Amino acid sequence: MGDSLINQFLTWLQHGLGKGSGDAAQSWSEALLGSLNFWGILEGTHLLALMLFAGTIFVVDLRLLGATFRKTPVSVVSDRVLPLTIAGFLILLATGLALFYAKPMFYYHNLWFRAKMIFLVLAMINIAVFHSQVQRGQSAWDNAPTPPGAARTSAIISLVSWFLVIGLGRFIPYDWFECGKPIPHWANVLQDCKTSEKGAYEKSAQIAIKGARS
Amino acid sequence: MTKINFELFFPALRPWVMNLVNVWPAYIVKPQYANWEVLHIVSLTLLGGTAILMNLRLIGRGITEEPPSEIYRNLRRWQDLGIVGIVVSGVLIGMANAEKLYDSTAFVVKMCALAGGVVLTYGASRPVARADGAVSTSAKLWFVVGGLIWLAGLLVFATGTLINVGLYHVITAAALIVLIAAQARLRWIYLIGLLVIVAVHQWVTHVTYGDPFDLKHLDPVNKVFTWIYVVWIAGAALTQTYVAARNKATPALAKLIAWSTILVWVTGAAAGRWIAFE
Repeated sequence: MGDSLINQFLTWLQHGLGKGSGDAAQSWSEALLGSLNFWGILEGTHLLALMLFAGTIFVVDLRLLGATFRKTPVSVVSDRVLPLTIAGFLILLATGLALFYAKPMFYYHNLWFRAKMIFLVLAMINIAVFHSQVQRGQSAWDNAPTPPGAARTSAIISLVSWFLVIGLGRFIPYDWFECGKPIPHWANVLQDCKTSEKGAYEKSAQIAIKGARS
Repeated sequence: MTKINFELFFPALRPWVMNLVNVWPAYIVKPQYANWEVLHIVSLTLLGGTAILMNLRLIGRGITEEPPSEIYRNLRRWQDLGIVGIVVSGVLIGMANAEKLYDSTAFVVKMCALAGGVVLTYGASRPVARADGAVSTSAKLWFVVGGLIWLAGLLVFATGTLINVGLYHVITAAALIVLIAAQARLRWIYLIGLLVIVAVHQWVTHVTYGDPFDLKHLDPVNKVFTWIYVVWIAGAALTQTYVAARNKATPALAKLIAWSTILVWVTGAAAGRWIAFE
């Protein structure tokens, strides 16, 4: 079992917080995960909100690439569409945090979740750079059918990183590299399996055992 | 109550369904299942974003600087791509997973939503957007046809124990669109009423009948509350459409087509997700 501060915190979040007395007592996190429908509603809402969030941000990115709404100023498209995108993002954030809270140790030691967070941060940095740098000169190209290279680069980074955030998110429940199973060394290291609830098991160790038996 | 699924309608098909996974290209897709799921979801977002923007414009929201026909013209090819994407990836995923779908109630809902969605989108919503809100006779006809297919799907959804919870995604989406579309005082009355209904619903299902396995009480309670939500949200939508709207440029029927076309795709997505939760 992990003894790092973050593992202690996540273990407390998962098994400790909100736990009453008695043998059958559950923490709030366990109650959420075991609920009849609540977890499913959260997960379903997380997925469906993508239609609002990603679907609308894709349209803004396509405008920046000059691939749609070429006659409409960039500012008109973004002013009208981004409030919807932000609403979608808030739903995703709220449901995403709740889903993480239901299984914090699982997500923290999951390769796909970790990779998803990296591209989520990249997408956020891209948004910050776009607003602070690229948008400065927007008045010069607001009406241009195809905005300049810097704006198009931002759009491509945005499209690629959100695509990866969605794709890596979909991979999370698959157990190809789950801690505690015989997995390659690099996967054990990248997921910090040693400190996970199920520990680390090297694939090479399994092969060695099989070799010894045969 | 009889479980509604494809087996009920086509009872002799099971051997054929079971063999689908061995047919090209399903046996190739099966090991790469997760990748095709990603394509399915990304296509869904493309379809969702374009459907939301095109139809919100008919409701009088979104990119209001441009007429509906301009929104249609700019988004139609991307929307086509989204629909082709969900169908192609969906057929491949479905073949690799066919027996589960054959037994699934949510899959029946999903197919109704897909058929209804295609009819509403191509027969009604897009022609209406192209004509800047004018509703032709053929658009009216397709609206009735697509709307009935969609309603059939919703009714199947509603037959599940406790109401298939996926239905609440559709209700939530409808509630949010009304919140975006409603104006001034109506928006606040609507929101406060909605919060009161949610609070009473939660009170009854968690305090009055606190035992989560007390289905004898919880099932009818959930079904009654579902109808209360539907009446409240649809009532607000109709009030906004026929009474409170300041902008009368778009006929009310065009707005009803737009509401339905967004929600039919939400129904399809919700049903798709709830196949796994059944």
